Amino acid sequence: MLKVEGLRAGYGAINILWDISFEVREGEVVAILGSNGAGKTTMVRAVTGMVRPSAGSVNFNGEELAKKSSRYILDKGIVQVPEGRQIFTEMTVLENLEMGAFNKPTREVFARNLETAYGRFPKLKERAKQAAGTLSGGEQQMLAVARALIGMPRLLILDEPSLGLAPNIVDDILDVASSMARNDGIAVLLVEQDITKALACADRGYVIENGRIALQGAAGELATNEHVKKAYLGI
Amino acid sequence: MSIFLQACVNGLLIGGFYSLMGMGQNVIFGVMKIVNFCHGEMLMVGMYLTFLLSTTFGLDPYACVPLVGILMFLLGALIQHTLITPSLGTKSFTNLLFLTVGLGMLLSNGALVLFGSEYRTIPTAYSQTYITLGQVNLSLPRLISFGVLIVISIALFAFLKYSTIGKQIRAVSQNPVGAEVVGINAKRIYILTYGLGTALAGVAGALLTGFYTIFPTAGAAFGFRALIVVVVGGLGSIPGAFFAGIFLGILETMVALFISPSYSDLIVFVTFIVILVVRQMIILRRK
Repeated sequence: MLKVEGLRAGYGAINILWDISFEVREGEVVAILGSNGAGKTTMVRAVTGMVRPSAGSVNFNGEELAKKSSRYILDKGIVQVPEGRQIFTEMTVLENLEMGAFNKPTREVFARNLETAYGRFPKLKERAKQAAGTLSGGEQQMLAVARALIGMPRLLILDEPSLGLAPNIVDDILDVASSMARNDGIAVLLVEQDITKALACADRGYVIENGRIALQGAAGELATNEHVKKAYLGI
Repeated sequence: MSIFLQACVNGLLIGGFYSLMGMGQNVIFGVMKIVNFCHGEMLMVGMYLTFLLSTTFGLDPYACVPLVGILMFLLGALIQHTLITPSLGTKSFTNLLFLTVGLGMLLSNGALVLFGSEYRTIPTAYSQTYITLGQVNLSLPRLISFGVLIVISIALFAFLKYSTIGKQIRAVSQNPVGAEVVGINAKRIYILTYGLGTALAGVAGALLTGFYTIFPTAGAAFGFRALIVVVVGGLGSIPGAFFAGIFLGILETMVALFISPSYSDLIVFVTFIVILVVRQMIILRRK
């Protein structure tokens, strides 16, 4: 579904990603792991067109997206839940969700997708008329996920969903993500610092270090890998 | 008492203009985080445009309002696309400061070259018509203008609250990164926003011509007041700007009546500074 090869990107004169290659297949949850500053968010931004890659390829269902605009990439079905949620705090929950329906096809089925999103996150339905800024951190994260679902992703990218949240809420959000991968055939790219949680939910994983892929493998293998244990899990 | 009431009403009628100017400035600031220093000059351009349309085609100044709105929207959109958007990329506040201040100078001096420095008015049959309500005399053109202003203000509020583009404008103001994530084209929103802000200033100018003289620097006083309105009413708050504008108009008229018209600017600015200082003290105390 998504095949990234030799991706290189950065901001102005500062290069962050040197050589990133990975693959996400349909119905799969793939974890991208790494510590703070490893380049995970830059990778998300490069894949979604918010940062233009200086080299490499982003192939999505056979189409090259590396030089395309963020809007075009969104149209193709790569939707992200950005780091820090980036919801519209002074708008209501419902207005935030409306903003997720960015193009005509998603707007036409908005009512149905809204019901599905409310079904997954009933709290949001209760708070539909409330300003998003008054929600708790966990609810805001649910809102960010629901907003992405309204955009009908074929590949859903979750960037640091665990940031600042209680563990049980993180579990809820990861449950929704993996159930969508299993049941609805969408692919999930989970970008995380919390390696234990991410590997518990993912099928496969890649570890980014200093802008390069340092390790890759099945989730179970990575969880028992000596380097991962030592560097990230402190065991 | 009747004088007091009269001053209140006059203040309200002029305050509506400050509100409209402040709301335009506020929409632009909200979306792009820039202060539009040529906002007052846009009002002046709206006045001359009305003057031209009404002297050339014999139109009533109020009939020119929709056309002035459209033309000013296009002017604003063009300025945004060709000048402001490229400058936003530099992320330099001083660039944008000089750009909008310079545009303002260009416009007011351009008007001076084209129309000369004399004061102009658009004579209408009703310019000296008054309606007496109890003890208060209401100038008919001021009253009509105020009515139109209120309708436009409500329409603007509804547009931003309920329309898809209005929601996108608010989304970009609140969270530009979030807006990009959901696929909102920020450049398009910038063009629409600056066009909208310019159109509001131009329409304010058109509505003024019924009872106000037209001259190349007529916009300056309104431009300054728009800034005060934005700061007092709260950055980004449309209702805040509306009420701050009305408050400013009434304050100014009261000072002119009970103290002296020559002190009204002074007292307006002193009040502005006092509000800023007091607000800062309240914020500091809360922390």
